[in-house]
Amino acid sequence: MPTNPTELINRYLNAVKFWLPNAQHQDILAELAEDLHSQIEEREQALGHPVGEDDVVAILKRRGSPMRVASGYLPSQRLIDPALLPVYRLVLKVTILWVLIPLFLIIFVGPMFTSAHEGRVLLTFLDTAVRSAFMVVGIVTTVFALADRYHKFQDANDWDPRKLPRRAVPNPATARWSSFANFSGILGGAIFWAIVMWHRSEFVFEGGRRVILQPIWSQVYWIVLVLTLGDALIELVAFLDRGHKQLRARIRLGWDVASILCAGLLLRVGSWVELAGLDLTAAHIAKLMVWVNLSIQFTLIGVCAIKLIDALLQIRHLYRNKPDGQAPVLFTA
Amino acid sequence: MHTNGANSELFDNLRLELRRGCLVVAVLAQLRTELYGYALRKSLTDQGLAIDENTLYPLLRRLESQGLLVSQWREEEKRNKRFYRLSPVGETVLASLLDEWREMNSALERILAAPFDPTA
Repeated sequence: MPTNPTELINRYLNAVKFWLPNAQHQDILAELAEDLHSQIEEREQALGHPVGEDDVVAILKRRGSPMRVASGYLPSQRLIDPALLPVYRLVLKVTILWVLIPLFLIIFVGPMFTSAHEGRVLLTFLDTAVRSAFMVVGIVTTVFALADRYHKFQDANDWDPRKLPRRAVPNPATARWSSFANFSGILGGAIFWAIVMWHRSEFVFEGGRRVILQPIWSQVYWIVLVLTLGDALIELVAFLDRGHKQLRARIRLGWDVASILCAGLLLRVGSWVELAGLDLTAAHIAKLMVWVNLSIQFTLIGVCAIKLIDALLQIRHLYRNKPDGQAPVLFTA
Repeated sequence: MHTNGANSELFDNLRLELRRGCLVVAVLAQLRTELYGYALRKSLTDQGLAIDENTLYPLLRRLESQGLLVSQWREEEKRNKRFYRLSPVGETVLASLLDEWREMNSALERILAAPFDPTA
């Protein structure tokens, strides 16, 4: 059934009214109605007869959806001042890269290497991850929106070029000797591991107290030794030759991944030592074992986290220093 | 094809920016004579400056709230219409804007007239 053109216009005006502020809608709608009637009148003059339903529909469609029309009259609104957006993005980036992602990896990757059921770990992770991400992004956005609303940020014009932070100039000598220090430390660790863990199945202390190692330690003995020596070798190469940064970053990245896998292999065991020969009740020994194993678990998770952060740094290095020169070079040393 | 589309979008955005300021000057200048919204739009279009209704009417309200225009509802041809005209403040602002416009225009003309050396 055809609709009366006047009825169509009234419907349209009513729909626009819904989106308009109460204080102004009467005035705006009166002007809008007048404009539409002027257009219809012009169309009728061109056609030589009264407009039909299709003509009015065409005029209204050309005018735009009621929400679009109303939006033109609304004050421009913003959640955060565009001048603050770079700071907002930086805070979000730092929060996500350096807090959320490492946290997610610890709460996800850690339990995946334990005896916990993978499905349960995944569900718990998804639940925690989604809630944490929304909460963190929401909190950061709310803080910025409130600060913008109440003008708590420093005036953008209140700055002095002399007070800008000094640019850190990398010192090649410091970096070189830092590599040597790392090499010495890691080599010391490798020697310690090689000697102390060689064919070791238990540690015997005074009074017959014993810490019995699970077989996994002898199984990963060579893997840990090779990885640690590899780490030391990478640092030694960095000390001797500061060039080939891209190649070194790739090797370090690979080594980090291998180290994370090895730590993960250890984490999957769930129990690494047993205690014997202690002058304690069985309940106390069990409690002590839980604490010892827990401390080993945290140490392994810590190793994973450190290696992960290093891997992320290597990825960043590879991304920022593309050999084809595509990456922007902002400053020259 | 994709580049053409991107260029076209870029051009549209730049054109929109370029027009935004000009439209204000054009509307103020046109309203030295009293007109209602529909007639104003027709008049601008007839002179080669087409303007969308959804841009014009909110712009008129904004200029009025800024004190550059005054308006009144009046019956004409059996319909109530809102007539706008330039306020005394609007006249002063328009004169300043036109001075600015002329300066910018002559600066741009000088820039475009300067010999272009692509190797420089």
